[in-house]
Amino acid sequence: MLHFKTINKIINLGPLVLLYYLSVSEIDSHFENYFEILSFNLQLIIIYFWALKRPEILGSGHVFFAGLINDVVMGFPLCISSLAYLTVSLVATYIKNMTVNTRITTDWFTFFVSIFFSNLIFFILLTNFSEIAINLTEISYNTFFTLIFFPFFWFLFTYYNSIITIGKNV
Amino acid sequence: MSSSRDDFGIAFRSALLQRGAAQKFSLVFLIIIAGIIFVLDSYGFGFMKPVRAIINDGIYRVTLVVSSPTRFVPQATGGITNLFNVKKENEKLKKELEVYRQKELNVKFLTNQNKNLRKIIDSEESYLKQENMILSKVLIDKSSPYLKSIIINRGSKSGVLKGMPVMDKDFLIGRVVETNYLSSRVLLLNDLNSRIPVTFGEDGVQAILKGSGGSRPILEYLPEGYIVEEGKDVFTSGKDGIFFPGSPIGITTEKGEVRLYSESSQLSFVKVDLSQKNKEVF
Repeated sequence: MLHFKTINKIINLGPLVLLYYLSVSEIDSHFENYFEILSFNLQLIIIYFWALKRPEILGSGHVFFAGLINDVVMGFPLCISSLAYLTVSLVATYIKNMTVNTRITTDWFTFFVSIFFSNLIFFILLTNFSEIAINLTEISYNTFFTLIFFPFFWFLFTYYNSIITIGKNV
Repeated sequence: MSSSRDDFGIAFRSALLQRGAAQKFSLVFLIIIAGIIFVLDSYGFGFMKPVRAIINDGIYRVTLVVSSPTRFVPQATGGITNLFNVKKENEKLKKELEVYRQKELNVKFLTNQNKNLRKIIDSEESYLKQENMILSKVLIDKSSPYLKSIIINRGSKSGVLKGMPVMDKDFLIGRVVETNYLSSRVLLLNDLNSRIPVTFGEDGVQAILKGSGGSRPILEYLPEGYIVEEGKDVFTSGKDGIFFPGSPIGITTEKGEVRLYSESSQLSFVKVDLSQKNKEVF
């Protein structure tokens, strides 16, 4: 029983480990080396999904630290990604408080709202408080593909969530 | 109407302030903390520099360790991939051989061009004479649609300063934009924020090489009506006093872009030129 609980605990840590790994490692979720315009932000999808479905798995503190690590690795001003990630988390928490049962279509639409605000904050802060120039077109492509890939990860994470749920009920 | 506004207010307040069962901090608290750190870092308060340098050095080392499996997998699978790509590589090599043959025929032309360039830069300095270089390993080369930069394992401890040029073999690839005690960030030539003065062609045309965010930087501020010809070697002009003159960068394309000699995604070891002590304000 104890052994099973340990395995369940490790499985529960999956999204958190993935979020930290994507932030700290140089693994490339931006495939622009292979396809010029294809890049998407998997971190935003992870944060939104788990903040919406199982906030106890992905605490806000972890979201904050993942953003901070991402900023250091990417060379952005500290906490700019944290603010963008926390915005996604905020929208997800708000949607969770306002709705009882959601479907993929509603999640997809609200995810669009969350990444819109998140990228808006990121862009405003970067252009006004930093000397780093960024390409608006590339941000648009990134946002677009993040939105396009959301349903795929939604199904994947929903399946993963069901595994965690099964583990908890036993 | 009033009820729906109340619902919005309650849900929003709850989202900001409420802490779930496993949450240690409320969102509003974290947003405020993030905002404070962001302002402190952006406005460059003195005490933030060493703090950031320590955080950077620590996280870069962790990143290096964490990324090692992702480096190992491509190496392990590389052999198999190579086997399948022999034909493709053969074709590529043939093309390269063709280019080298063409270059051999153009030795005389290049010699003249070199003489012209030396006249233009009016200096006895040459990248070939530079010996004050240190070799450094590329720790992180995380690709991003926003920034094109790499992290190297040399910092202020090794004498690296902001603004120093960085080379891959003999080719310029970028400059140092951030130094920590044990590591530094190098802004690559193809980054959107990169701008360096260059010269090219027999006439020694002066231009600014601007990063495009893509793989090929663009030539800007060319003489009026000038049409860029394909295949001209581009060198640093050294007019900014940061880069020494005559460092090869790449070759022009007919679109007015520059195909860099050094592939930024394939960097493993780079050289930092310590002789350029000019500090640049970024």
